[in-house]
Amino acid sequence: MKNRLKVLRAERNWTQAELADALDVSRQTINAIETGKFDPSLPLAFRAARLFGLRIEEIFHDPALDKDRSSPATEIKKDTYV
Amino acid sequence: MNQLKPPENGYQSRTRANVIRIFRWNGAWGAATLLMAFGPKFLWNKALEFTLLAVGLDVAVGVGMILANKKYIAELDELQRRVQLNSMGITLGVGLIAGVPISVMDSYHMIPFHADIAYLLILMTLTFAISNLYGTWRYR
Repeated sequence: MKNRLKVLRAERNWTQAELADALDVSRQTINAIETGKFDPSLPLAFRAARLFGLRIEEIFHDPALDKDRSSPATEIKKDTYV
Repeated sequence: MNQLKPPENGYQSRTRANVIRIFRWNGAWGAATLLMAFGPKFLWNKALEFTLLAVGLDVAVGVGMILANKKYIAELDELQRRVQLNSMGITLGVGLIAGVPISVMDSYHMIPFHADIAYLLILMTLTFAISNLYGTWRYR
């Protein structure tokens, strides 16, 4: 899963430690999420979204979902259900 | 720039308090175990009632240590909990995989030493420490 946590944090001039404190996790966890080594749970993703005042999908997104949307199989499926 | 308010009882301070609690309980359990192991010989001349008291104390302090560890794990964040659980899983596996064959070999006198439980404890402690360090390094 990809995320914009690092960009959003940089825009606000927050350090990893400050963001970690605000989300009630360790600084290591913030670093692991930012570098894509660890995907957060849904509750943590919701906390991050609340903190930044954004929707979850504006912070986190699954690249596989983009692929699915552009694949012909998905288009056929869509036509079938519409 | 938006300023973030640091929480009063944040993750870091909670974790620090839990680690200190674990060290105290572990120390107390170590002391209780030493008392149970050496007390009968050196302190009360193998008096049965004192030995039973020492065993009861060791078990009671052991329960306290388990509860302190449980609280520590419960209050970790999700990444740290994953690292701890991975380390525990590896430690349990290594303990079983190494412990059972060595015990069997000992009963058939296939190894030149007695398979003491202390060796298993040392192996499990080392395994936990190494896998914990690896987990921390992996997500650093």
